[in-house]
Amino acid sequence: MPERVSAFDTKLLDILVAPGTHAPLRYDAAAQELIDDKGGLAYPIRDGIPIMLVDEARSTEGDAR
Amino acid sequence: MTNSHSHNDGTTHFGFKTVAENEKVSLVRGVFDSVASKYDLMNDLMSAGVHRLWKSAFLDMLRPRPDQTLLDVGGGTGDIAFGWKKRGGGPVTVCDINREMLSVGRDRAVDRNLLNGLTWVCGNAEDLPIPDRSVDRYTIAFCLRNVTHWDRAIAEAYRVLRPGGRFMCLEFSRVIVPGLREAYDSYSFNVLPKVGGMVTGNAEAYQYLVESIRKFPPQEEMAAMVEAAGFARVEVRNLSAGIAAIHSGWRL
Repeated sequence: MPERVSAFDTKLLDILVAPGTHAPLRYDAAAQELIDDKGGLAYPIRDGIPIMLVDEARSTEGDAR
Repeated sequence: MTNSHSHNDGTTHFGFKTVAENEKVSLVRGVFDSVASKYDLMNDLMSAGVHRLWKSAFLDMLRPRPDQTLLDVGGGTGDIAFGWKKRGGGPVTVCDINREMLSVGRDRAVDRNLLNGLTWVCGNAEDLPIPDRSVDRYTIAFCLRNVTHWDRAIAEAYRVLRPGGRFMCLEFSRVIVPGLREAYDSYSFNVLPKVGGMVTGNAEAYQYLVESIRKFPPQEEMAAMVEAAGFARVEVRNLSAGIAAIHSGWRL
């Protein structure tokens, strides 16, 4: 059985930006999210695939920094 | 001439139906979620395997190189990405709005032992999560038709391509031979949804497919849209008498 690759590769931070704002992203390993600090949105990573859709992002307003 | 198929009243086409513009994304997603696991099998059955030849012609024209990066939009099940890698192309990012299609593609990559240089991202063609001027080649194969605003997707392609980069689209188009056009219409309206329904259990999805093909702009209009986005040296190549067509343009 080949090993399932579902871990997030941080090299992706160099080739992805937030949709809309085109701001760089910050990886939150614990929450499995990519965070757009400029736009105040957190994009979920599900099964190793970043879900870069504004509709599915969580507002980071009120998150502790 | 309009560069988008949206109407002024905030509605758009979903096949032949007119739906609220903000509904199309979820309707299209529903279509592909429901058929994802059988999508490639269906393509084979419906086109008698010809979609493979079209993709192969598309890849020949693309001429993959190891020093180039590719962004493939809407290619969730991986056909273009795998073909690019197989022909020696550099790193690929596959961006698809549909995560079921991406899962199918990633599983196929594992089966083919193709793990390096392939990145799978869920994103919208109209609002790409990709930096400006960061890729050498942009491909979109059998996807643009399903995007709500075609012109916005093409503008995004222009934004993410580096100067010297190439845009290539493979999509259903207009049959250019009159007698064949009628035969093709009859086949696609009468046979396709039935076969699609039998194999995937979702005839409506294939009814949408057939209708969406008729709504998509023919060769010259599509070429004008690509030019309007800023691309130069725009070329059109018909495949199978125009059942499908390749549009290519360069960001200079």
